[in-house]
Amino acid sequence: MKTDGQVPGQAHGVIALTASACTSCMICVRECPSWCIELESHDVEVTDPGARRPRTVSFLDAFTIDFGLCMYCGICVDLCPFDALAWRPDFDYASRSAAGLVQGIGELESWQQGPGDGTAISDS
Amino acid sequence: MASGNTLMPVTALVSGARAYRVAADPTLCVQILDLGLACCALEVGSAIAAGLLVEIEQSLGIGELATVAEGTSQGAVTTILLISGTITDALAPAVLRAWSQLSEPKAAVSFGACANTGGPYWDAPTVTKGIDQLIPVRVYVPGCPPRPEALIAGLLKVRDEIVVT
Repeated sequence: MKTDGQVPGQAHGVIALTASACTSCMICVRECPSWCIELESHDVEVTDPGARRPRTVSFLDAFTIDFGLCMYCGICVDLCPFDALAWRPDFDYASRSAAGLVQGIGELESWQQGPGDGTAISDS
Repeated sequence: MASGNTLMPVTALVSGARAYRVAADPTLCVQILDLGLACCALEVGSAIAAGLLVEIEQSLGIGELATVAEGTSQGAVTTILLISGTITDALAPAVLRAWSQLSEPKAAVSFGACANTGGPYWDAPTVTKGIDQLIPVRVYVPGCPPRPEALIAGLLKVRDEIVVT
């Protein structure tokens, strides 16, 4: 047991998001047992030079995880086809309100860039 | 099995509050009454076993606690009601009584998803959807369960608020 207040890099402390990898496929939202993930997106038509027709790309407007509800099961991390979600060891995000535990893209992405070795425990 | 009209020996619970120093801040001394209602309680024990919380002599009387309090940054030992676990409708009255019997200064800390919002049981008819429906909560510690270190981070957050107000 560690006694220095430091947690292992592989700790399941928080779930971080890489927004640019998210395709708004909704798999995490639908499979979450706690229903703690919300996602909003809209479609954008992208016209590539020389293409016969425009591509439709989903643009992520909002992505929130309610860590008050989350049961940290990691199903969303496991099921994300694009590895947009990942475990991070951060634990210091207690809040003075229950609503303050709902984290949006900004916070979720800041954790992605934070410390931790980025290795999923299932990979080791 | 307890008979139908005895929910929980709350007096025994309240007298079970113990004083701890927080290793991360030696000037911080809190009395903690841990209502370990579910698996999160194990993490509290883990924090103590890891030395993150250091128990002050169990036998300290009120006067001696006051002496300890003078050496703390707040000048008083805050009693923390630590709600770590699922609050079922059957247990909710016991939590309320424990809260009402604690003396000031006191603060409730909600530890873990169940106490925060009902957690994975948010859709269950017999589970309270967050202890803040019953008593005012000072700090919500997220996790299912939160790490022992998260408990310390939550206690430091309580300290910060006391200093500010």
